[in-house]
Amino acid sequence: MPDVDFFNFFRWTLGTVVTIYASIITAQSMAGWYTWLAGTDKHISMIRRYVIVHGLRLRFLTFWGDVLITILLCVAFMLLFRAHTIVNQIGESLHTNVHRIIAKSR
Amino acid sequence: MSTGSSPNPADITALTTTGSSSSSVPAPVTSVPSTKPTAPLSGFSRQLADLPRAELEHLAEEYGLDGSDFKTPQHLIAALHERRQLIAAMDRDAMLDVIRWGRRPVTANASNELLAQQIAKIKTMRFAGLSQRGLAVLAQMRGLPVQGDEPVPHIVRKLKRQEGLFQKLNRKRRAMIGGWVSSLIGENDTQDYKFLPAAEAAKATTESKRSGTIKEEIEESGLLGGLTNRIKKSADSYVNQKLDEIEARIDRKLDEIDRRLAEWRDKEIANRLRILKITLWASVIVGAFSLIYSYIKVYFVAN
Repeated sequence: MPDVDFFNFFRWTLGTVVTIYASIITAQSMAGWYTWLAGTDKHISMIRRYVIVHGLRLRFLTFWGDVLITILLCVAFMLLFRAHTIVNQIGESLHTNVHRIIAKSR
Repeated sequence: MSTGSSPNPADITALTTTGSSSSSVPAPVTSVPSTKPTAPLSGFSRQLADLPRAELEHLAEEYGLDGSDFKTPQHLIAALHERRQLIAAMDRDAMLDVIRWGRRPVTANASNELLAQQIAKIKTMRFAGLSQRGLAVLAQMRGLPVQGDEPVPHIVRKLKRQEGLFQKLNRKRRAMIGGWVSSLIGENDTQDYKFLPAAEAAKATTESKRSGTIKEEIEESGLLGGLTNRIKKSADSYVNQKLDEIEARIDRKLDEIDRRLAEWRDKEIANRLRILKITLWASVIVGAFSLIYSYIKVYFVAN
């Protein structure tokens, strides 16, 4: 019988589904905007320039607190990911060594 | 307005087949050389040949020609052709002098043809204030054989001689009526002339009479014409004032829309960042919990 860790299974399934869903929705939305803004119509051209102007007017200082927290959370997430990998490696090596010791002792 | 010399080419074929006009068209009204090329002349003549007589006469009037002076449409086309060449060869600064003096509603960067069309609408016989070169252009547009280097009194004499006795008498009568009317309703000072702004180029050809005194206007256009022009001008200024107010209101609205859009953009970005932050917090918390779980599983459960 396979040794299934339900907690890990739930995490990986949820992560995979949500990542794929978010990627598809984002790509769909961006493609829609790109198609609309790439139009050659005079008014669309004006809106395109207006959007660019609004983008350039955007001030980083308005959102710097939120942006900083987001960056720190991303770093924390990466560290946790790395820690997971290390703990899993330790677990595997422990498992292997324990089996070897048991086999030797017999 | 009639030209001094009506060209009578044998037929129109020469005009329609070649861009140069000198081969079949008789000597032009003046001896000013054609230094600048006009628009594709053969194409222009070919288009003219397709027009009915009434439209040709209307076009001729725009260029300061009297359509009734020409017996056949071919003659009229040749005259139009010649007039366009004459206009192309005219000194632009001199034309602008006339425009400024005649207070015509055109932009400073309007084409020579447009300037000429506006000059053709100037009917006044009061030439005070017009430069010598401007006077020469005006005389050329009125069909007089002017070289361009004549003294002012000479050109003025030619222009007055061209007017004719009855036209002069009519003008004097109108001037007298204008004098009475102006003494009745009073004069108002005219503002300094300005070229139309470039954005108003589309309106440049709209009819607008010379902005002189009411007396001068009645002298030029008659009693009813002068009064109508004055009323029209008052209505125009009222409408312009209202349009300015509407424009200012629209500008204010646009600024308001822009400000609201900027606020909406900031709110939207802040909202998206908050959602991202919540997602990251959830991921980190679950990740930390999972790490603890893995640690316990590896070090305690396995043993």
